[in-house]
Amino acid sequence: MSGRILLVEDEEHLARGLKFNLEAEGYATSVAGDGETALELLLKQKEPFDLLVLDIMLPGKDGFAVATELRKANQFIPLLMLTARGRPDDVLKGFAAGADDYLPKPFNLQILLARIQSLLRRRDWARTLPDESSHDAVQPASVKSNDGSLEFEVFTFAGRQVNFATLELRANGKIYRLTLMEAELLRHLIHSGGKVVSRKQILEQVWNLHEDTDTRAIDNFIVRLRKYIEDDPSRPKHLLTVRGIGYRFLANIR
Amino acid sequence: MLPSESSMRITSRKKTIAFAVTLGVLVAAVALVLNVSWIVLNWREVVPLFLGVLFFLFIIIGVILNTIFLVREVRRNEQQDSFLNAVTHELKTPITSIRLYLETLQQRDLDDNQRREFYQVMLEDSQRLMGTVEQVLRAARVTQKNVPLSKTDIDVGPLVQDAVDLARVRHHLAPDAVRWELDGLKAERLSVEGDREELSAVLSNVLDNAVKYSPRHPHIKVEVVTPDLETVQIKVQDNGIGIPAGELKRVFKRFYRVLTPSAAQVKGSGLGLFIVRAVIQRHGGKTWVESEGNGKGTTVTIELPRYQS
Repeated sequence: MSGRILLVEDEEHLARGLKFNLEAEGYATSVAGDGETALELLLKQKEPFDLLVLDIMLPGKDGFAVATELRKANQFIPLLMLTARGRPDDVLKGFAAGADDYLPKPFNLQILLARIQSLLRRRDWARTLPDESSHDAVQPASVKSNDGSLEFEVFTFAGRQVNFATLELRANGKIYRLTLMEAELLRHLIHSGGKVVSRKQILEQVWNLHEDTDTRAIDNFIVRLRKYIEDDPSRPKHLLTVRGIGYRFLANIR
Repeated sequence: MLPSESSMRITSRKKTIAFAVTLGVLVAAVALVLNVSWIVLNWREVVPLFLGVLFFLFIIIGVILNTIFLVREVRRNEQQDSFLNAVTHELKTPITSIRLYLETLQQRDLDDNQRREFYQVMLEDSQRLMGTVEQVLRAARVTQKNVPLSKTDIDVGPLVQDAVDLARVRHHLAPDAVRWELDGLKAERLSVEGDREELSAVLSNVLDNAVKYSPRHPHIKVEVVTPDLETVQIKVQDNGIGIPAGELKRVFKRFYRVLTPSAAQVKGSGLGLFIVRAVIQRHGGKTWVESEGNGKGTTVTIELPRYQS
């Protein structure tokens, strides 16, 4: 597999070891020692990287800030966060900042490489997919499960269309790019078919977090999703809060 | 701690503190108003007046004390949190690195040179890990008064020389980055009575700080001077980011770290100077820092009683 990877890591030993392994796998790898340099490369010089591996504890701007800034500037490069901070709150904060995947240190080399591969694969899929989003073709609100292969599904409801393969959401004539986790959360809610999903279920099934954290970090994701899919995000009609329990998704507004 | 996150945490901490203080002031004010009205209503009757005023005074003092303790507790929590983050990072980074290199050695075909280079990296990482573990253990130990020091007669010159050499190697410093000189009385042997290992650790901590907080090109001056016949002073002066005047005493507190933007970029546990002061105190000495402020460098002085043989 090929691709250009930008590695943002200030620990010299780790940067060197990771670069060695990524290059051994055939990726062209550049290293940036801090967040400012990474932002400079990605936003100002528009270097064509295919993937960003981002540490959180960096001198100067930390990884969360870098991710947030990138996403704000509409830079949707696949982003894997790599960090010593593995508490559920940190993980969720990472995803909320715009990460597509998150791996706590110390990590297993094989798993890191596999995750990098899967993020790059998604990029390749997005490229090869035909543009099947003609706007007027509003389909009845139903989940298309292309013979079980959920990776290529397109879901249409109330004039909006989500493409879970390209992570694109089309609504009101605009195209929004979702992060992987925003898409996964939306997919999970859609699949529940109008049933209430608790916060705990979402944590377990979408983020794979099994700890008993009383976190409201999910709420941030819901707020963002509402901005994309609701006419009036403060009075949601599709993505409803069920007080004290969680959320549910309604495709058809009754 | 890092700026964006630390600033976020500072704002949330400031909010909590502001809330606690506002509440405290409000309750104290209400109690004061009640107290005054009590005096106005009961000024003719001595016993209720006396008891009432006493009672209200207790309440007001209680509220004030409560507020003070609350604010302190919030600060302490915040410091422990940042300590935990820093130590987690300091422990996990070398472990991650060692594991990465071991897996690389296990899974890839490497030539001899690469192999040797990777072994060297892992050795350095294990030393770093050991350093962090020792620092945490030492911080726990210095707070226990009943752990005895193994005191011997130590020659200050070689002690400082060793610490300087170690710092040069550890931080890959240019030879002229550390200047070090003994006071005029070079021939004389300057000795102190102390625990060699603890004192070396102290000097290492001070020198590490001097390097860490001098981000560009560290120029560090180490001096051993004898202000009088009874004392020896070891002064370590750097050209680094300095310390604001208000923070000069607080830097010795456990877990305390200065949170100016330039200081927040430096990784650390907040234990270094705490250990320095605690160890020097146990040796009957004193420690202080001087700085002209931000960007003007810092001087740490360690004063120990001279050993008269």
